[in-house]
Amino acid sequence: MRNKFRNLSLQYKITFITLLLNLIVFAINVVLLVSINNMSDRIDSVYRANLQLNDIQSSLNEVQDNMTEYLNVKTSDALEDYYRSAQAYRNLISGLDSRITQSPIGRMGRAIYNMSENYLDETEQTIEAKRGRNVEKYHVRYDEATALYGYISTYVYSLNNEQFRENSDNYREMVNAFRLFETLGNIIMFGVILSNAFLIMRLTAELTRPLKSLTGMATEVSKGNFDIEPLPVYSEDEIGVVTKTFNKMVVSIQDYIVKIRESATVEQQLREKELLMESHLKDAQLKYLQAQINPHFLFNTLNAGAQLAMMEGADRTYEYVQVMAEFFRYNVKKGSQTVTIGEELELVDNYIYILNVRFSGDIKYEKEIDKALLGVEMPSMILQPIVENCVNHGIRDMMGEGKITVKVYSIDNTACISVEDNGVGMSEETIARLMSGQPVTKDDGRSSTGIGMDNVMARLKLFAGYDEVMGIESEGEGKGSKFTIYLDMKEA
Amino acid sequence: MSGKFSSKINSIIILMITLILAGLSAALLFFFFSFNKKLNRTEEDTVYKRYYAMITGNDESNFVDSLYDSMIAHATDQESYVEILSKNLSQEYSDRELVKIAIASNVDGIILYADDNSELSDLINEANEKNIPVITLFNDFDLSERLSFVGISNYNLGKEYGNLIIGMMDENILKDDVIKVCVLVDANSGDSGQNVLFSAISETIEKEHKLHPYTHKPAEVRAYPVDTSNSFSVEESVRNLLMDTSTDKPDVVVCLTENETTSMYQAVVDYNEVGSINILGFYDSPAILKGIERNVIYATISIDTDEIAKSCIDALSEYYELGNTSEYNTADIKVINRSNLNEYKEEDENEK
Repeated sequence: MRNKFRNLSLQYKITFITLLLNLIVFAINVVLLVSINNMSDRIDSVYRANLQLNDIQSSLNEVQDNMTEYLNVKTSDALEDYYRSAQAYRNLISGLDSRITQSPIGRMGRAIYNMSENYLDETEQTIEAKRGRNVEKYHVRYDEATALYGYISTYVYSLNNEQFRENSDNYREMVNAFRLFETLGNIIMFGVILSNAFLIMRLTAELTRPLKSLTGMATEVSKGNFDIEPLPVYSEDEIGVVTKTFNKMVVSIQDYIVKIRESATVEQQLREKELLMESHLKDAQLKYLQAQINPHFLFNTLNAGAQLAMMEGADRTYEYVQVMAEFFRYNVKKGSQTVTIGEELELVDNYIYILNVRFSGDIKYEKEIDKALLGVEMPSMILQPIVENCVNHGIRDMMGEGKITVKVYSIDNTACISVEDNGVGMSEETIARLMSGQPVTKDDGRSSTGIGMDNVMARLKLFAGYDEVMGIESEGEGKGSKFTIYLDMKEA
Repeated sequence: MSGKFSSKINSIIILMITLILAGLSAALLFFFFSFNKKLNRTEEDTVYKRYYAMITGNDESNFVDSLYDSMIAHATDQESYVEILSKNLSQEYSDRELVKIAIASNVDGIILYADDNSELSDLINEANEKNIPVITLFNDFDLSERLSFVGISNYNLGKEYGNLIIGMMDENILKDDVIKVCVLVDANSGDSGQNVLFSAISETIEKEHKLHPYTHKPAEVRAYPVDTSNSFSVEESVRNLLMDTSTDKPDVVVCLTENETTSMYQAVVDYNEVGSINILGFYDSPAILKGIERNVIYATISIDTDEIAKSCIDALSEYYELGNTSEYNTADIKVINRSNLNEYKEEDENEK
C-alpha cells in the first residue's frame, strides 16, 4: 500500500491526500447530519401524533353533529354529510397505532378504534331507526351513541395527554441528547480539523523531504564537491525521477572530470617528451660540430716544436709556435665550453698574429672594445671563424692594405660584437645564403679550424635561443663587409 | 536512520489519530443508536396477543397495586396484557361506565373487582353475549353470567375473624361481660358476601359461647356502615365511629379492607384508644404490619395476591384455550399476629 502510494505521481498523491481528508470530513458530516435529521424528525413526530389526534377529535365531533343534525331536520343533505363525515372518520381511525404493548398509547388507540367501530355502528342504527320512524329505538340508540361519543372523546383526550406526557419525556431526553450530540460533534469536527492539519503537514513533509535533500545535494555539487553519496530514491514520482537523473548527472560529471584529468596528463607527458627530444638534438648537434674541430695531435706536436725552438734560441719561432699552440689549445680546451667575449678576442688576436707572420704583416687589425662587456658569455669559436671569413673572402683577393676592425659595444641590454673588413664585399645573394645558414662555397668547411659560417650561425642560434643573432652588411662590391653579433648580456 | 525513525513515529502518530477519530466516531454512532433505540422502545415493545381490562372502581390501595403487579407478571407470561382501565383516563367513570367502555373497546377479558349489584350483572351478561369473558374478583356476581369467580370464601374469612376474637378472650384482653364487636361494612354494597361474613363471625363466637359459657363471653356483633362512595369518605366514616357517643365504643373492630384497617389504626392512635379498642385488620401492607408490631392492631388477615392474580389470568387463558374454566376459585387466607410477624416478614423477604 505504502509503496504503491509512493510510486504514484505527485499530482495523484496530492489529489489522493486531499480526497482522503475531504472524505473523512464528509463522512463525519454525513453521520452528524443524518443523526440531527433523525432527531428533528422525532421532534416533528411528537407534534404529528398530537395533530392526528386533534383531527380525529374534530372528525368525531363532525360525525356526532351531523347525526344530531339529521335527527333534528332529517334532510338528505344532513344524511349525506353524515355519511361523508363517517367515512372520513373511519379513514382517520384506521391510521391509529392499535398494538397491545406496555405503552398505553397503542392500547388506547386500540380502544378508540374499537369503540369508534361500535360508535359508528350505533349512529348507523340511530339513523336507520330515524328513517324508519322508530322513535323509541332511535332515542335509545342515540343515547348509546352519545355515551360512546363521550367515552371516545375522553379516550382521545387522555391519549393526547398520554402522548404529550410521553413525548415531553422524549423531548427532554431528545434535547439533552441533542446538546450532547452537538458537543460531541463539535469535538469530533475539531479533532478532525486538527488531525487533518497534522496529516497534511506530515504528508507534505513526506512529499518534500526528497526535494529538500535534493536541494542540499545540488548546493554541495554547485560548490564543486562531486564526492557525494548518491541520493536514495524513495518514490517513482516526478521527484524520484529528478533524483535519479541528478544521481546520474553527478556520476557523469565525475566521469568527465576524470577523463579531462587523464588527457591533460597525457598532453603534459607528450610535451615533456618533445622538449627532451629537442634538447637531445641540440646536444647532438653541438657534439657533432665540436667533433669536427679536435686537433689534439697538432696541439701536442706544436708544443714540442716550441720547446725545440726555445732550446735552439730561435725566439721568434718560439713565439710563433707558442701562439699557434695557444691558438689550438684554445680549440681543445674551450671548444665545448661557453667562454667570455674577452677570451674570444684573445683568440682573434692570436689568429691575426699568425696570419701576419704568414703573410708578413699585410693585415691591419683595429679594435674598439667596451671593456665592461669583456665578461659577457658567448659560445666559443665564433669570432675567429668570422674574422677568418673576412680575411679569406674579403681581404685576400683585394689590392692594397686589408683592414679588420673589431668593435664591442652595447645597445640597451644587448652586447654587440662587430667584425668589419674593407675587402671585396658581398653580393645580396651571398648575404642571404649566409644568413640562412647555408654554405656559400663548396669548400666552405675547409677553414683553418674546420668551422664554417653555417656552423657559427647554427651554434649562435642554439646558444641564444633566438634567430636574430647576427647581422651581415655590405654596401656592395669593393666596399667591404660587416658582421655583427647580438647577444643578450649574461655575465659569467 | 533518522528518516526511518521519524517515519516510524509518523506511522504511530497517524495510527493514534486514526484510532482516536475512529473511537470518537464510534462513540458518536453508539450514542446515536442507543438513543434511537431508547426512543424506538415503544415501537419495538413486545406486542401481546390479548388485552384484559381490570376494573377496580377507584380503589387505589396497596392491595390493589400489589394485585395488579402480580396480574401483569402472570399475564405477560401468557402473551397477554392487563390494564386497570381507569388508570390513564382523564375523567373518572363509575364501574358501570368502565364496564361499558371495556365492552365497547372489544377487550379480550374483563376482571371486575366491584361491589355486587344488579346493574353490573346486566353488563356482565352483555359482555358475555359479545364473547367477552368476565372474571369477578372477591365479590361474586353469582346471578350473572360471569365466567368465573376468584376470591376468598367469606364464610371462612368470617370464621377466621371469629376465631381471632375467641383468641382475644383466651388471652384475657377483652374484659367486658358482653363483648361489643363492630364489623365495618360497605354502605354502598348490596353484596350478599358481606352478610355471609357478618353472620359467620357471629355464628363462630356464639357457638363458642354455647360450648364454653364461662370462659367465653357472649358477643354483640353489629355492622357499621362505611361510606365508600368517594376517595376520602372511608377515613371520615372510620373516625365517626370513634367519635359517635350515641353508642358504646366497640371492644373489637373488624376491618374488611386495607383502607379501613389503616384508617382505623391511625384513628385509634389519634384518639388514644390503644388497648381499649382492638383492631382486626385486612391485608399486609407495611403500615398494617407496623401496627401489629406496635400492638395497636391485634391481627390481620392476609391474602396471597399472587395466587389470586394467577387464578384470574389462568382462568382467562383457559377460556381461550379450552373454551371454559372452573367457575369458582378461592385463595387461602393467612392470619398474621405478633407471634408470627417476624416469620412472615422473613418469608416475604425471601419471596422478593
